[in-house]
Amino acid sequence: MEYASAEPHPEAALLRPIENPGKSFYYIVGILLVIILYTGFVYFRQLLYGLGVTGMAQPVTWGFYIINFVFFIGISHAGTLISAILRLSKAEWRRPITRMAEVITAIVLAIGGLHPIIDLGRPDRMMHLFYNGRLQSPLLWDVTSITAYFTASTVYLYIPMIPDIAILRDRGVQPRWLYEFLSWGWQGTEKQHKVLDRAMNILMVVVIPIAVSVHTIISYIFAMTVQPGWHSTIFGPYFVVGAIFSGIAAILVLMIVFRKVFRLEGYLKHIHFNYLSILLLIMSLIWFYFTFSEYLTGYYGHEPNEMRVFWYKFAGDFAPFFWAMIICNFFLPVALLCNSRTRTIPGILIASISVMIGMWLERLIIVVPSLANPRLPYPTGIYIPSHTEWMLFLGGVSVFVLGYMVFARFFPVISIWEIQEGRHESAKAVNERIRSYMPDPEPTSAAE
Amino acid sequence: MNKKIIEGLQILSISLIWLLFTGIAVWIVTLIRESLKLHDAPDASVGISIVAIPVFFLLASVLTYVFVGLRKGRKEHTER
Repeated sequence: MEYASAEPHPEAALLRPIENPGKSFYYIVGILLVIILYTGFVYFRQLLYGLGVTGMAQPVTWGFYIINFVFFIGISHAGTLISAILRLSKAEWRRPITRMAEVITAIVLAIGGLHPIIDLGRPDRMMHLFYNGRLQSPLLWDVTSITAYFTASTVYLYIPMIPDIAILRDRGVQPRWLYEFLSWGWQGTEKQHKVLDRAMNILMVVVIPIAVSVHTIISYIFAMTVQPGWHSTIFGPYFVVGAIFSGIAAILVLMIVFRKVFRLEGYLKHIHFNYLSILLLIMSLIWFYFTFSEYLTGYYGHEPNEMRVFWYKFAGDFAPFFWAMIICNFFLPVALLCNSRTRTIPGILIASISVMIGMWLERLIIVVPSLANPRLPYPTGIYIPSHTEWMLFLGGVSVFVLGYMVFARFFPVISIWEIQEGRHESAKAVNERIRSYMPDPEPTSAAE
Repeated sequence: MNKKIIEGLQILSISLIWLLFTGIAVWIVTLIRESLKLHDAPDASVGISIVAIPVFFLLASVLTYVFVGLRKGRKEHTER
């Protein structure tokens, strides 16, 4: 691999994946490309034969594609939202985490955003949206908000990356023209730092309401209908909570994998996992509270159509998925993360994977049972996903892994300049901050 | 690659971003006009556009500010 100055960098471990990716990188990329190519073939088959190749039929007309759409967009909240909150609150421990989180958002949003198009038997009809879209439809609100979130997240990822891109440019890493192009003449002058700080401050504030609005609007696709099980006023915050919950789990899984693969133990320490896992624990409790509240209200109303969906989930065909969701999202993570002896890295990994599975099941449980038990007098619908749908799900996950690997091949997944800034300035800044809000000492000696 | 070409590409990228966001704004305005014509939830239309259009322009402005600011903030000797 042609690159770079041989000079050792103080953060050499962060540059290793770029300067020496190793053979295993290319093997994994090869395997992922094979899966993605096969997924492409499967999708082409769906284009030829229509949605008949999926398990969707009347009355269950939304299946894996919409479930995965909601799931992927949910995970996207990992990044920008959490990173913006940590930056805004000046949490110093954020430094090795934010970039990893922001990359998740950009990649996952692109994948999630494609799913409604995959769900169209005739994707060319997407163009109708541009010519004849109706702003009355929450689906159109989604298009607008997801586009805004995607652009905001990409800008929010890119701008703090500029100083790191300049480091790669100065080290002569190939392709140099790319780093030259993306670094915009960064030299690290005081004036340039000021510009960067100001832009990041604006973006931090802008990105949080956009992120919240995206998942609220996704919930409106369901809540704005009068379908039993969907027409709920708490769906907005419930979806946002679920999104942050699954997002934190996704960051934790990625952090653990990257720490192991790229030997980043010096950057991703136990304290980072401890703080994030406590956040995951809190989100698990909040999620349970929302779930309990949502179902209790429905049960108490005892409206016949609502109860059909309710029992379908609690004791009917979807009961195994429903109770698995409760175990995965609540009992298992709470049991593992409450106890400091099990709040170890393997314990956190199990809890995070469990939450991701549980949150996927939650999307399944929201989408399918309400459609299978419509208000109209239809017999209960059946939905069994086909090979095409499973393959497109696997393909989506593969695109995510590939996207992340390609990113890590060209850019540092941990912000080098922010780590260096933290080393030099954090302690002083934290000290000053503490002094600013602590009460002044009593002037005892002077008075005496 | 030649520095002039890279600079040209940078300016082109900023122009394309503005073009894209202006396109989105024009699209939203067209949808509002359509919804007003059809008396189709004009309140929702106006509400969304009030939020969405400024967000896109704000993002484009921040990017432009960064790109222009970074160029202006370079050390004197490299500007020549």
